[in-house]
This record gives sequence, structure tokens and C-alpha cells, in this order.
Amino acid sequence: MAEQAYTVVSDSETTGEEKTSSAFPEIAIGIDIGTSQCSVAVWNGSQVELVRNTRNRKLMRSYVTFKDEVPAGGVSDELAHEYDMLSGAAIFNMKRLIGRVDTDPVVHASKSLPFLVETLNIGVRPFIAALVNNMWRSTTPEEVLAIFLVELRAMAEVKLKRPVRNAVLTVPVSFSRFQLTRIERACAMAGLHVLRLMPEPTAVALLYAQQQQQSGHENMGSGSEKIALIFNMGAGYCDVAITATAGGVSQIKALAGSTVGGEDLLQNLMHHLLPNMDDLFSSHGIEEIKRMGLLRVATQDAIHLLSFNMSVPIDVDLGNGTKLSKVLTRAEFEEVNKEVFEKCEALIKRCLQAAKLEAEDVHDVIIVGGCSYIPKVRNIVMSICKREELYSGMNPLEAAVRGAALEGAVASGISDPFGNLDLLTIQATPLSIGIQADGSDFVPVIHQNTTTPVRKELIFTTVHDNQAEALILVYEGDEKAAEDNHLLGYFKIRGIPPAPKGIPEISVCMDIDASNVLRVFAGVMVRGTQRAPMPFMEVRMPTVDDGHGWSAQALHKMYGSTLDLVTVKKIQH
Amino acid sequence: MISTSPRSFLQTPPPPVNIFSSGDNSLLSPSSVRFRQSGNFTTAAAATYSTMPSNLVHTSPASFYEILGIPIGSTIQEIKAAYRRLARVCHPDVAAIDQKDTSADDFMKIHSAYSTLSDPDKRADYDRRLFRRRRSVNLYSGGYSTRNWETDQCW
Repeated sequence: MAEQAYTVVSDSETTGEEKTSSAFPEIAIGIDIGTSQCSVAVWNGSQVELVRNTRNRKLMRSYVTFKDEVPAGGVSDELAHEYDMLSGAAIFNMKRLIGRVDTDPVVHASKSLPFLVETLNIGVRPFIAALVNNMWRSTTPEEVLAIFLVELRAMAEVKLKRPVRNAVLTVPVSFSRFQLTRIERACAMAGLHVLRLMPEPTAVALLYAQQQQQSGHENMGSGSEKIALIFNMGAGYCDVAITATAGGVSQIKALAGSTVGGEDLLQNLMHHLLPNMDDLFSSHGIEEIKRMGLLRVATQDAIHLLSFNMSVPIDVDLGNGTKLSKVLTRAEFEEVNKEVFEKCEALIKRCLQAAKLEAEDVHDVIIVGGCSYIPKVRNIVMSICKREELYSGMNPLEAAVRGAALEGAVASGISDPFGNLDLLTIQATPLSIGIQADGSDFVPVIHQNTTTPVRKELIFTTVHDNQAEALILVYEGDEKAAEDNHLLGYFKIRGIPPAPKGIPEISVCMDIDASNVLRVFAGVMVRGTQRAPMPFMEVRMPTVDDGHGWSAQALHKMYGSTLDLVTVKKIQH
Repeated sequence: MISTSPRSFLQTPPPPVNIFSSGDNSLLSPSSVRFRQSGNFTTAAAATYSTMPSNLVHTSPASFYEILGIPIGSTIQEIKAAYRRLARVCHPDVAAIDQKDTSADDFMKIHSAYSTLSDPDKRADYDRRLFRRRRSVNLYSGGYSTRNWETDQCW
């Protein structure tokens, strides 16, 4: 699409849409970057296949080790992970840290990781470093992810015997658009062009749509739709989606997501086992790193075992006279993590409510992700959805990447003679997008769970007589106060004709296209055929570069309420 | 709670030529002011994005039924099936390469028709207005009577 004179394209580094004119479209690969594990899958011409690494593994640990000069990811070398973790050289959990600032509680909770996460609590990105030769070598989540993606890409190229450029990646539902740009940046660094960033449960929904299509219980377009609730809980995030499926079309009815996952279970249990853990580890010396690593590995193993046993013995020598020796029961584990499970419950309920559905309306309940093996998690999902059994047709650890590969094939324009790719996902917005207005309120223009692509418009007006300019502050989220949401960007519109307050009509229109690109249009509306005094602004969001609230504070300090807007109240009809 | 204002306009992207072009104007016609809905409803802003001269107002308002290509008495199953059938053709993810530019707008129109007709309350409301509008258009504008279902449909 041709760019207009007033377009502000924000992120110059996001790879531009290249017009590939080759006769055979490249099939985009699907990548699932998990907080703890990742995988690659691709449509092989007749079905989705997971790409295996040189050790014949389909799932690889998501971590990068910094040693001497060359950092290496876990794609080829996963066995070293546990050891590297004890040395401080391995960086992982990047999906939890990417695009977050050092005031974020999730970043603070990451301080117990066996490498350096330093926060200054001023709203900038945290300092992250790996211990290499007794020196902290700084890095960023984007860099770690990029190193890892380079390895995944190389692995795929070797296996597929062709260059790999395009990819569909799965992302957590709760990711802000700013976080999505960080994922895109990491991909660009790795030479990958992002075709789609797909919320994880919607990838699962697409796989479900294909399975329904293949099982032949329905005729194409018969309209007899099946409702599925998808619960996805991995190490870093928990997502819920509700989809209505018929004829290979998966329509996302509602999404809900939160930064709660296996990592929280792990940390809560670590604190339970070693209550003064934070004090013991605060200095981040070589010995502390090693102890943190040992405790982490022991706790992780215990959680895995508790999925199949009612109790598990823990014996770990943390050195320096600290020795843990006890029997941990499943009940204890569940009690320690009560809040985490309550959050999961709340998410499912919220999603059902947003979809305007009762548990009884749901045909299939699908549970995927690393935490899907935890009995308590399964019980919660089954009890809220009021059923005895869960959908069994999917591998919980592969569902998301398989869905991403299907989307990759569909979005690459591939068709299948047997109709196995006659699929479509109709996506919905996971978070509301709006502007600050009516004082410091967040006024959504596009609401949460709106089907995309979409274009919506709201009319605002001035708060001062003869106000000539207005500031448009675009936020994403669902909090009432604007500043509690993610700031995506801001710009000024000018040339409002002199008029008493409340008279000028300022239109703010937001457009999300099928690739999930958000554009905000704003300007002064003029009635009749008279030309607008100033051109409209079209701004591609997000424009803020570091996702922090500083700019909003600076703007407020500079302009106060002089450039504010209020919504035009609904006119009754 | 905030809501959309009635006047959809937007001068930004020029309207691409598309198979639904007949549907645009209806939202701007004086009679369609009643179609305004609350903020979380897609119709108003979703379907229009160009300033239409007022003299175009009475040409061919395509009803939601016409957009979905179904008769007025269709069942909810028929509505859903029609929506999916059209989405399979018009959604930008699956649209033919030469239609990529317009498919998002086409899809938004289809979705907006679907979201009204698939909700029993909104549909009842819409049907009442459609009936009233049809009658007044036939009585006063004259032009409409020369059109029929077939010419309003593009597939």
C-alpha cells in the first residue's frame, strides 16, 4: 500500500513486506518459542511435520549459553543445559522478560534466575547478563531470542534442504503490541520474516479445525458449529481461547491471557522449600548462582514427579551448610500455589463470559502446554467446564507449533488437493486499543475480542475554547486508567478551527489488518463538502521504542491538560 | 461507556474498487442514521471510510441479507454457513492475490452483517428498520425499484 505524505512508519527495523514473485511460494515454517521449550514444524505437502534436531529431538530447550566468544543455543546442545545453568552462563526464560521494563513484577520475580537480572526501578529495560569467565556479559532478551532463532532456522534449512525466510510464530495472548515488536525484532535479527504472530491457543484452534474437518462429522459450510475451549499453560504464560469451528473455519470468540505459568509454580515452591532464598541469593556470586541452579533443578524435578506421584522426596545439598531434605506432598504443592491456580480459574471464567457462553455450550475442552500434565490444572479446567474428560486428539506439547505450521501454509497461499488446508482462522483482538480521553481515562476504540481485520471510529471533541491542537495518546489494555495500560505511541493533531469547547469533531479511527498491523488515523472532521483544514494523520503503532511510561509523564508535565480530548456522548436514537 | 458517533467519514485510505461498493452508501443515507449502534458494534465505522457526496445516498443500499447472499427469512444455521462460505473466499488470509487489497474491507462488511444477523435481538431490530426503510425508499426515491436481488449481489 502506498504510503501517504503524513504516514509515520514507526519501526524501521521491522522487515518490510517484500513482493516475492516466485512461481512457487515459499511455505512459511511454524515456530513455537516457549518459555522453556521450543519447536519448529512445517507443512510437508501432505501434512504437518515437526523438524527434528541432530539429536532427533522435536522439542528443544529455549536457552542460550554465553561462552568465550560465541554464544550457543540449546537447539543442538541441550544436554549441557543443567550444567550451564549452574555456571551462570546460560540465559533462559527470555519469553518472560522480553519487552518488559524494570518496574514490572514479572521482571522482579526473574531475579532468582541463575544469571543476572538487575533492576533500577525507573521504567527502563532491565540489565541482563551472563557470567562468562567471572565477568558479567550483558545481553538483551531480543539478542538471546535471535541467537536461538538463528539456530532453529539453520536446523530447518538443513532438514528442509531449502532457504527458510518466512515464519509464523506463536505468542502468548497477553503480549502487548510492544512485546510483539520485540519478537519481530529478534526475528529480523535472525533473518526471518514474520508472516504472522499468532496467539498460541488460536494456533491450537486451527489444528482443532483441521481435525474436525478431517473427521468428517460435518459437511463443509453446514453451519453446525462446534465450540471448543482451549486452555494453554506453559512455563511462562497461561492462555484461554474459545473458538467456534465449522467447515475448517475457526472463529475466535474470546481470548484471555495472563503472565502466570510453570515458572510461578516453580518459584513459589522454591520459596516454600527455602524461605530465605532471596536473601541467600541476592549477591549473585558464583557460589550463589550455583546454589540457585541446584535448587531450581531439584524443584523442577519434584514438580514433574508430583504429576504422577502423591509425594516426592527432596534431597539437595546447596553447599555452605544449607541442606534440604524433606518429603513434599502433592497437597503441599497445590496449597503453596493456590493463587496461581485461582488465576487460571479466573481466566477461564473470564473467557467464557466474554464469549457469552456457559460451560454447557462447550463441545470440546482442549488442554495443552507443559503444565497440562499437572493434575490440579486438569481438575480446575474440567470442573469449570463441567465435564469428565478432555479432548484427547492432540499432543499437548506439539499442538501450538502444528497449528502455526498450518497457518504458515495457509498464509503462504498453499493449497492441498485433499482439502486439508481449506482452513481459516478468524482472529480477535486479545486486548482493547484506545486513547486517553475524559481526563486520564482509557477510552477503547477497538474493544477486546473484536473480530479482525477491523476498522472502528470514535468521535472526540475539545475541552478548551479555541483549542487548536490535540494530543492523541494510544494505549492498549483493559484498565480503566490510561496509564495502567501499555502506551503504544502518541502524536499531535493541529489545525482545529477556532470554536467553543465541545464543538469541533475530532475523529480517531483505528484499523487492524489481517497481518495484525495497527494504524491510527486522526484528524478534524468537517461537515459537508468543505475540505478539512489540515490533512489527517495516519500513524502506524506502536511508535514508542522502549515501552515505558516515561514519555506519557513527560508529555503530561509539558502540556498538562491543554491538549486533552473528551468523548462525544452517545446520541440516543 | 463510550460509543461511536453516527457520522462515519474518514478521508484516509481511498476506497478501493471492490465488489461490495454498493454497500457503502447505505450507512450514510439519512434513513440509515437509525442503524447506529453502541460502541462495540461494528457497523458504522467498519463499513465506511470515504466521504460520500450526499447525492449518492440513495443508490443501492445493500442489506445485510444481500451482503451475505441469503433470503430474509434465513435460519441462524444458514446465516452462519453463509458467513463462513464468504469468509473462506474474502478473508485476506485466503483471498486470491489480486484481491488482497480489497478483501479486508469485504470481510469487514461480511462480518458486520453476520454480527447483526447472528444476534437474535439485533436482528429483530434490524429487520424492523429494514422493512421501514425499504418501504420509504420505494415510495419516495423511485430509483430503487429498478434494482432487484440479483443486481445487488455480486456472486
